[in-house]
Amino acid sequence: MAQILPPYLKNGDTIGIVCPAGYMAAEKIVPCVNTLKSWGFRVKIGKTVGGISSNYFSGTDTERLEDLQEMLDDEEVAAILFGRGGYGLSRIIDRISFKKFRKSPKWILGYSDISLLHAHIYANYEIATAHTPMAGAFQDAAPGDPFTQSVRDLLIGKKMSYSCEPHSFNRKGTAEGVLMGGNLTLVAHAVGSSSDFKTKGLILFIEDFGEYLYNIDRMLYQLDRAGKFNKPTALVIGSFTDLKDTERPFGKDAYEIIRDILAPYDFPVCYGFPVGHVKENYALKCGVDCILKVGKERVALEEA
Amino acid sequence: MGSPLLAVPAFRSGPEVKKTIWDELPWRIPPYLKSGDTIGITCPAGYMTRAEIEPAVRIMKEWGFNLRIGKTVGLRDFTFGGTDEQRLSDLQQMLDDPSVQAIMCARGGYGCVRIIDQLDFRKFAEKPKWIVGFSDITVLHAQLNHGLHIASIHSKMCNSFPENPGDAEKGQWDSIVSIQQALTGKPIEYPIVYDPGNRVGSGRGILAGGNLKTIETLAGSASDLQTDGMILFLEDAGEYLYSIDRMFYNLKRTGKLKNLNGLLIGGFRVKPDDPGDDFGKSVYNIVHDQVAAYKYPVCFNFPVGHQKINYALKCGVQYDLSISEDKVIFRET
Repeated sequence: MAQILPPYLKNGDTIGIVCPAGYMAAEKIVPCVNTLKSWGFRVKIGKTVGGISSNYFSGTDTERLEDLQEMLDDEEVAAILFGRGGYGLSRIIDRISFKKFRKSPKWILGYSDISLLHAHIYANYEIATAHTPMAGAFQDAAPGDPFTQSVRDLLIGKKMSYSCEPHSFNRKGTAEGVLMGGNLTLVAHAVGSSSDFKTKGLILFIEDFGEYLYNIDRMLYQLDRAGKFNKPTALVIGSFTDLKDTERPFGKDAYEIIRDILAPYDFPVCYGFPVGHVKENYALKCGVDCILKVGKERVALEEA
Repeated sequence: MGSPLLAVPAFRSGPEVKKTIWDELPWRIPPYLKSGDTIGITCPAGYMTRAEIEPAVRIMKEWGFNLRIGKTVGLRDFTFGGTDEQRLSDLQQMLDDPSVQAIMCARGGYGCVRIIDQLDFRKFAEKPKWIVGFSDITVLHAQLNHGLHIASIHSKMCNSFPENPGDAEKGQWDSIVSIQQALTGKPIEYPIVYDPGNRVGSGRGILAGGNLKTIETLAGSASDLQTDGMILFLEDAGEYLYSIDRMFYNLKRTGKLKNLNGLLIGGFRVKPDDPGDDFGKSVYNIVHDQVAAYKYPVCFNFPVGHQKINYALKCGVQYDLSISEDKVIFRET
């Protein structure tokens, strides 16, 4: 599928930072702002960063919508990096206007709750987006940290080339396809809505955090029953961390759950890819052709 | 049994409802039970011991029914009442066995979605029988709603029958009795406490619904709940407010809220927000925001959910809902 790639960034271009979901204190984005500046970019900070909200959200629906809309429409903003996820995009996604964005696409960077935006844009506009660490992740990043560095590489147009250690559950093979995916909860949440995307021909990646094991199982059954595992060319399993169990134990960990659900299929699968709610979270371009090689010694994901 | 199936024509009154193939199928009501009929007990989701179902067995025998204890009762595979194969085979047998007139699920938990696509409903569709349960059993109700158009009973299960009925609170015991009323075709009086959050109005429709989280995770599947022209009821327990809000957005974004003829909000036992993450909206706010664009009646505090007062409801049966300034009337048409 021919995806539209937003223009990569040049020295002096402006990156906008907004919080369309959960609240984030302004001081938490300082390390990110400093890093982006050190990379040669200008930074524009949205009103939802460190807003006056006293509840869960970074602002009212209207405030969050307007802030994001302004960044989408602002010709001076070359990319939008989200402060953090949480929950909130579902509440405003159907009110976002993509009119200007479609005419002049820009990179949208984030993950977790932002997965819904990636899914929505991919499903409707076939414009590439970026599943990346967000502003908050720059707080603890050591100098030269490869994961925040991968955000820079993505922005300036370097092709993705990542590798990781093999996992005993891996299913070997080589696959070509459009890389797309995100947070399992949000991908499942989008099924049946206007943000639902087809998975045929995709290298699909999923990750999750903080869910009950039985619910991970249930969501995977949902994806399976909705036909999402019928025709992807490969599956990339990121981290599934801080999962919870019920009083009566579920009896399997997340990777065992995934392995069992994928048993009827024969596409390559790699587990333990560095993407998720952890420090090891590479910037991934959603909607871009890639090649995944799941080998005995090494797993490699390369942009085509 | 010999009683003829009641064929109920599909009822549609929602505005400009898109027709699907299912709209052409009439809804059918399984034969109501008579004294001496047999209720099968099975565990399609979580596990339960033989001793734990004893109060339910005793009370349903007192109601005049025979009981058939399925092979999964007492089986355990971690959280499940047996392996997928065992749970599937037990439920399948109950569905196919002509000497079983109703199937009560021992309890919910999690597990129905793991076996639903392997179940063969062909014999069941020829000779429907009552399927009884809630929570995870919403998967079965939704399957009957989506594809088969056969009525089923959303109610408490074996794990809620009191050891000693004399010790049970009135609402709890009346909820248990309502299962008997539902199974035998007797009218049920719903004790609906008036709620100031209600939206006045009246509507008629086939009833559909169940556990909100379960309904969300059926979207896009062969059990995706159809709600056009219907009265929808929802309940949930143990979820964060933000998650409940997200689930309501899922219902909205998958088109399940726009063509309703009524909405019943049951119990929502909310998991408290984490410190510093105050969601700032109640379940009332969440629901009101979602239904603001529509006109159908909305009833809060409906006696259904993961709580003592959880009355039997017949999914797939037509009800009238009438909400005035001071009272709510909800009854089968």
